[in-house]
Amino acid sequence: MLSAHKVSAGFYMTDTAFIEIQDLHFTRGDHEIFRGVNMSIPRGRVTAIMGPSGTGKTTLLKLIGGQLTPDSGRILIDGQDVNRLSRKALFKLRQRMGMLFQSGALFSDLDVFENVAFPLRVHTNLPDAMVRDIVLLKLQAVGLRGARELMPSELSGGMARRVALARAVSLDPELILYDEPFVGQDPISMGVLVQLIKRLNQALELTSVVVSHDIKETLSIADYLYLIADGEVVAHGTPQMLDTHQDPRVEQFMHGQPDGPVPFHYPAQPFYDDILNHDATTRIG
Amino acid sequence: MKRSKTMELGVGLFMLAGIVGLIFLGLRVSGLSLASSTQTFHLEANFANIGSLKPRARVTMAGVTVGRVESIELDTEWYDARVVMKLDSDLEGQISRDSTAAILTAGLLGEQYIGLSIGGDPETLADGETIRDTQSAVVLEELIQQFVSSMANG
Amino acid sequence: MDANFSDILARVTRLGRKGSDLLEALGRAGLFLGQSAISVPSREGWRLWMQQMHFVGVLSLAIVLVSGLFIGMVISLQGYTILVEFGAEEALGQMVALSLLRELAPVVAALLFAGRAGSALTAEIGLMKATEQLSSMEMIGVDPLRRVVAPRLWAGFVSLPILTVGFSVVGVWGGYLVGVQWLGVFEGSYWSNMQASVTFLNDVGNGMVKSLVFAVVVTWIAVFQGYDLVPTSEGISRATTRTVVYSSLAVLGLDFVLTAVMFGGL
Repeated sequence: MLSAHKVSAGFYMTDTAFIEIQDLHFTRGDHEIFRGVNMSIPRGRVTAIMGPSGTGKTTLLKLIGGQLTPDSGRILIDGQDVNRLSRKALFKLRQRMGMLFQSGALFSDLDVFENVAFPLRVHTNLPDAMVRDIVLLKLQAVGLRGARELMPSELSGGMARRVALARAVSLDPELILYDEPFVGQDPISMGVLVQLIKRLNQALELTSVVVSHDIKETLSIADYLYLIADGEVVAHGTPQMLDTHQDPRVEQFMHGQPDGPVPFHYPAQPFYDDILNHDATTRIG
Repeated sequence: MKRSKTMELGVGLFMLAGIVGLIFLGLRVSGLSLASSTQTFHLEANFANIGSLKPRARVTMAGVTVGRVESIELDTEWYDARVVMKLDSDLEGQISRDSTAAILTAGLLGEQYIGLSIGGDPETLADGETIRDTQSAVVLEELIQQFVSSMANG
Repeated sequence: MDANFSDILARVTRLGRKGSDLLEALGRAGLFLGQSAISVPSREGWRLWMQQMHFVGVLSLAIVLVSGLFIGMVISLQGYTILVEFGAEEALGQMVALSLLRELAPVVAALLFAGRAGSALTAEIGLMKATEQLSSMEMIGVDPLRRVVAPRLWAGFVSLPILTVGFSVVGVWGGYLVGVQWLGVFEGSYWSNMQASVTFLNDVGNGMVKSLVFAVVVTWIAVFQGYDLVPTSEGISRATTRTVVYSSLAVLGLDFVLTAVMFGGL
């Protein structure tokens, strides 16, 4: 199923989609977050979803995980409509997914070992010895076998994220969702995480979805990119395709230009009016 | 593991303390007694006026509590009050036929209870029989009325 | 005239929206209680419940017992000065026991419980929400209502009645210390008057029923506020305050209703 050939434009036609998002609409309060998003996420690849802050990337992951319900549109995971599933079937489906949260989201009352063991304990009846072996294997993979007795409060941010990664893959999922894995990491742990995501994807043959706005790191691991802004997919393609894309919004984002179609300034009245007209200032204040 | 053992012990003690506390409230505070509730017998008495006597009021003999009032109802034959008392079974066959039952008041304004005094008849009352000689409750208003009218007459 | 009318219309609309918001919140809270309280007990659930019993019950014991002792002593002291004027100081035991069992123990224990355990429950669950622990639990395929909320709910339901019993016992003893040991009320009449007037079913039983109702309400408010809060530090602090305020009001209001039904001769 998993072909070894390297990225080239067009080969995705031959890959089957693991996640299919069709005409997704979602509003929160009065704010329209998605208006007609279509995506097709290929099986066994790393797909990155990028976009400026506040475009609802995390919301998209929650929609994929079935934690939120869209206003309209469908999300199919391996052919199953996430929002039509019963609660039980949805929880069953989630056992095939792992998710790495932005903050790590380790359970603060359990130590590192028990955190990684948690999914195994609730979903399998494996004997203790086998649980131990699996947990140590996963911790070894993220390089934290020695930290198994620490509590989450004793871990650094990067370590917490690695433990969370070990927990996310402890049930050997088919799909793993990464929510901003690189945010707030120092260059070393960033490098470690990039390595880990790449290695895990190859070793476990899983489908990865990375939500991020760190361009350099994301480009280095992604096979395919979706760029969302203003509630829509503005561009998609391989990293090379997007790098030379002509759309000014894509250019601005990919090359990190401070001003462009996404303005630097929050909407305001003209600067000189604001400075010179004292009444207007006080009215705003 | 060790921490969870001491925690379990703590929770166990906590729940045990709750049960012991409830038993204390039952026995010491509300005066339930386990022994007397098992072995009892009944006597009845008719009173012309029971005042404010209530079910579960004490029944005493020489000041010692020997039982409780079980029920009070209107006897439609004589139009007086029929009081059923539950007494310790130790007294069964001990209370003579001419014993008296009086409704007394604890203190000036306190609750009302029944006081039994033993007579001299060698024959005794059996379970479910009736005490003939009774003395009704003293009603304060009647007492005052009597006092006032005697003052007026005198 | 026309502006006035539209103003009134806007007010009525706002009122309507507030009303439907309130109903919606109540509905959500009810659904939440139903979904989490009904959970199949398992070995794991038992262990989690035990943990919460420790946290919610055992750790609240000290404050509840100390308060109970002082309240018993105060009633005894106050009651004595009133009763002695009527020459009825023998009725002190009755007064202490009845006011504790029927009223003070359930109410004060519930208020202390809301402050000590309720606010902590809200903050704990709120923090778990803010750090995405609840979300990640859901994504692992474990229902946080069962795993996180249910053990806390049941621990609260069981703990508060036990704490109330403790409060009463210690209070009666505190009353005895002050009344009998200090003020010199005859010991026999302290206990016998108490026993003559207190009935187990009516006084102890009704007090327990009250306490159970308060336990459900306070714990429910506490965990729901935690589960439903806005996951920011401000949201957590607000929800914690709301837990204490709502619980206290609910306890005092319900106490009146329950007292009217139980002892009001209805």
